[in-house]
Formats: sequence, C-alpha cells, structure tokens
Amino acid sequence: MTAITTAFGLVFDPYVLAVIMGSAVFGMFVGAMPGLTATMATALLVPVTFFMAPVPALGAIVTATAMAIFAGDIPAAMLRMPGTPASAAYADESYEMMKKGQLDLNMGVNLVFSVLGGIFGVLVLIVLAPALAEVAINFSSFEYFWLACLGLTCAVFIGTGDPLKGLLSLFIGLAIGCVGIDPAAGQPRFTFGNVDLLSGINFIPTLIGMFAVSELLRGAVTMEKGGMRVTQAVGSLMKGMGGVFRRYWKNFFRGSLIGTVIGALPGAGADIAAWVSYAVSKKLSKEPEKFGTGHIEGVVDATSANNSAVGAAWIPALVFGIPGDSITAIVIGVLYMKGMNPGPSVFLQTPELIYAVFIIFILANLLMFPLGWAAIKSAKQILRVPRNILLPIILIFCMVGSFAMTNSLYGVVLMVVMGLFGWFLEEQGIPVAPLILGLVLGEMLEQNFMSSMIKADGSFLGFLSRPIAGTLGVATLLLWALMIWKALPIGRARAAPA
Amino acid sequence: MRFNDAVVGALFILLAGAMIAMTFSFPPFPGQKYGPSLFPRIIASGIILCSAMLVLRGLKERREAGGPWLGLADWMHRPHRLASFALMMAAMVFYILASEPLGFILTAFLIQLCLFLWFGVRPLTALLVAVIMTGLVQYFFGSLMRVPLPRGILDSIL
Repeated sequence: MTAITTAFGLVFDPYVLAVIMGSAVFGMFVGAMPGLTATMATALLVPVTFFMAPVPALGAIVTATAMAIFAGDIPAAMLRMPGTPASAAYADESYEMMKKGQLDLNMGVNLVFSVLGGIFGVLVLIVLAPALAEVAINFSSFEYFWLACLGLTCAVFIGTGDPLKGLLSLFIGLAIGCVGIDPAAGQPRFTFGNVDLLSGINFIPTLIGMFAVSELLRGAVTMEKGGMRVTQAVGSLMKGMGGVFRRYWKNFFRGSLIGTVIGALPGAGADIAAWVSYAVSKKLSKEPEKFGTGHIEGVVDATSANNSAVGAAWIPALVFGIPGDSITAIVIGVLYMKGMNPGPSVFLQTPELIYAVFIIFILANLLMFPLGWAAIKSAKQILRVPRNILLPIILIFCMVGSFAMTNSLYGVVLMVVMGLFGWFLEEQGIPVAPLILGLVLGEMLEQNFMSSMIKADGSFLGFLSRPIAGTLGVATLLLWALMIWKALPIGRARAAPA
Repeated sequence: MRFNDAVVGALFILLAGAMIAMTFSFPPFPGQKYGPSLFPRIIASGIILCSAMLVLRGLKERREAGGPWLGLADWMHRPHRLASFALMMAAMVFYILASEPLGFILTAFLIQLCLFLWFGVRPLTALLVAVIMTGLVQYFFGSLMRVPLPRGILDSIL
C-alpha cells in the first residue's frame, strides 16, 4: 500500500503536474497538425525529458502520446487529413459526416470514446501488467531470448505491409545496434577507431533523425504556402451522445478490446488497431452499406481502439522490456537511459514508479476531456498555423535536441545521417519502425543469446529445455516456418485465392 | 525516389558482406567457443538472406512488368521542390559546420530566416519569428536545461 501512496505523492507534485499539463498541450498541438505524428511528438520530447527525474519524464511521454492520438481525429474530420496515422482508418468516414453537417456529433463521439477507450486500455494495463510480471520474474536468459525473438517477429509480421522489407529493416536495426562495445566480451566493433562510435549509436539522435528529420524532408517537398482553412464551426459536442452510447455500446467494448489486444502485441500500435477495428465493425455491422457514407458506427469502434492501444502497448514494454509499438520503443530507450532496466524486477524494486505511470495514464485520459474539448473549439486557429513557419522551427528543435544528447556535434551528425538514411529507406518502401525496435532490443537480444549459448555450452537444444522457454521457442520457430512457407512460391500459390 | 528492389537488395548485400569481413578481425572470447563476431555474423547473414530475396523479387518484377531501375518521385522533376529538399539538407550541414565558430544564436537565427523566406513567409514575420524562437530555444535549452550550446563569436563580443 505504501508504494501506491508514494506514487500519488510522486505524481501530485506541482512540478510533475506542470510537466503533464505542458506535454498535454504539446501533444494536442502536434497530434492536430497533419504531418506531425505522435511518434514525432515523443521523439521531440525525449531530449527535454532527458534532464528530468523518471516520473515527470514518463509523465510527459504518456500524456503527450495519449493526447496526440486523440487530436489526430480533429483534422481528419475537418480537412480529411488525419493528424496522425492512427486516425487514417476513419478519416474519410469522419469527413463524410462533416459534409452531412454532423461535425458536432463526430467530434463529440471522437472525444468521448477516445477518453473511454483510453481508460479501458489503461485498466487492462493495471490489471494485467503486475500479474504478468509475477510470471516473468522466473524467466532466465533462454526465455528472454525467445521472447525478444517472438516480439521482433510479431513486429515484422503484423506491423508491416511487406514482411520481407520489415524483416530487412529489423536486421538493419540489429546491425546498427552492434556498433560500439559488445555486451559479452567488451570488444569494440565497427567503430572505425572513432571515439564517439565507441559508446554505440546513440539512440535519441537516431530516433529524431528517423522519425522527425525524414518527416521534415518529406514535408519540405510538399510544402504549400499558408495554413489550412476550416470552414465549418463546431457547436454543441454532447448533443446526441446518449443515443450513440445506447445504440453502440457494444461497438465501444469491441473496439477497445481489439485495440487493447493489438496494442499489447509487439510491434503493432494505435494505427493498426484503428484499421482492424474499423474493418471488424464493418464486417459485423447490421448496416455495412452505410459505412463510408458518413456513418458513426465504425468511428465508435476505431476511435476507441486507437486510444486503448496506447495504454496496452505499455504492457509488454513494462513487463518484458519488449516494446508494443514504436512509441513504447522510445519509452524503453528512455527507461534504459534513466538506469531503470524495464522488466519484471522493476515491479519489485521500484513499484512506486509503475504505480505512478498508471496514475499518470488515468490522469492523462481524464485531462483529455477538457483539453480535447478546448482543442476542438479552437481547431480553426490551430490548423491555421502555417507549415512553412512550423517546419524550420521543428528543424531547430531536432538539432538542439540531438546536440543535447551528446553535448557535442556527434549527436547532430548522427541525426542528419540517420534522417537521410530513414528517408531513403521509407522511399524504398522499407518501414523504419522495425529498425528502431531492433536497435532498442539488439543489446538485450545479444546479451541473452550469448549467455544462453555459454550456459547451454553451444547446444541449441539447451534453448528449448526449460518448459516456458520451450513453449516460446516452439511458437517462434513455428511462426518463422509459417513466414518462410508464405514466402516460398508454393506457399504463395496456395495463399493467393484466400 | 524509388529504386527497383534488386538495386536496394544488392546494396544491402554489399554492406552486409563488408560487415562479415570486418568481424574476422575481432579477437575470440578467451575460453569460449563463441566470441564477439558470432552475433554480427548472424545478423549480417539475415540481411543477406532478405536482400537476396529482394533481388530475386526485383528481377522478376523487371522481367514481368518492365519498370525502371530508378523511379523518380514527382517532386524531383520540379526544380523548386528539389531546391527545397537541398536547402533542408544544407541547413543541417550548415549547423554542423557553423554552430561552433558562429555560435548557436547566430546559426539558428540564420537557418530559420533563410528557410522562412525560401518557403514564402513574409519578411517581417520571418524576422520576428526567427528572433523570438532563437531566443526561446536558447533560454529553454541553454539556461533552463543547461545544455552547453556553443557561444561562438559571442565570446569575443561579450
């Protein structure tokens, strides 16, 4: 009980509350601006949180991401431009609703069900994470090795449209993670005699490069002058909400559940949760013909799903140190920087930090209601901020943020190189999210692999000899076999007609 | 700017090959069968495997559908857009080269001003925003967060 009391004390501190409030406004803004994503918001926040204690640092990230995922719904409805990829699934539907004059209802539903979906995901996180941690406390390097393999495989399998390119991206990330001193023997690798590279590829500048700079490069070539015009005014948001709730409460629970499960799976986050739940909603609806014409049903499902995924993504991140999506991949990087290695031992050693994260999550979702309301009301002004002013400012933030991570130009150079590389990869259709997962998990994977190899004396069978490790190992190997089968010509021929 | 998958695959096969070649210079882990070269070799093999499949896929695509080795994006044919891209890169390179001799304040101000003007912000607005944002960033990171942003020529003036 004392840990919970301590956690409340940690969160309800004027400084922490101010940080939460500030990052909430920041998240709302970034989420509402088309072209700036929730991942980018997190990447830009990390250099700032670097200088904070763990609780405000985590609070800033939790709050900003929760807000950004909701705020993405606003321009989706008003301009048909999703503010973040997580709102893309139902942007057309929302826009059709606006054209029919139902903007109020759409915004109200997005706000209310984002808050409720977010809280649903957090409740599952609160119930499930400590229970899973008790199981995970008995894990050895074998289980962790398989868990990391399984997580990475899921990331490639679920999270990307083209598994082959996803897998390549993952391997590139693991390869980049090899730069620096190797975790088992202390041997410098791939450093080319460079002192900066000896400490490894710094995670934050890489992140800023891949998620922010590459986005800026894409933004620079599609730049139109001036801001965006919103024509329709927003009236009463709560009108008709009771009716929607009575009619579609099942959709809410279904969407939240799908969002939570997908969020908790490694590698897939809020955007995939929204796509899947929207598709499920259409399939199971009594009136599927209305979908796409400005029908609220699918929006209820999808807007609940993407917000519930935000909280659920923290389950594997906190319990196993395996990220549920690219945002929690950043979180894990932050946790390592703060010297708190994510994993079940955090639940035993510093439970107050875990409780603090839970409290902040609930707080952030409650705060979403008034702030989201304000954001909807002032959307006209927010969306008028011209991109040609925003883009150079973000560029300066990126460079200063990367500089601050190393206190030298090495950070900036790394950011530029990774930004260009990330841009190149995305142009080739190679997603960068698996690369970031690989970079984050690389060291843990190698460490557990090497110590398992040494324990098992080089016998691969040793990797399967413990019951849980065996189960995880067989599951991973089956998944790999399935992937190879699908990649082979025979497998593809069979799969095609389905 | 999209290369045919075969080109991308070939590029990564070369890189992974270089990576494996480098692992041969790593000393073995004393007393163990497996050293620091094992893991990078597994990863590099993975890259080669994936890339080889990309090469096959790219060649098949060329055989069946034709298509160029390198497809240029729409904006690459438009000089103004191409210049925007180059300018963004130039801004970052300029920061790396100039921030230490000139100092953060002047470098950040110049970068913002140039980019604002290039992207068509009105001169007065551009000047004002550049001054205000440079000041804010310097205050926030330099004073509050104590990041040692380079002072550059300010040292000789103040």
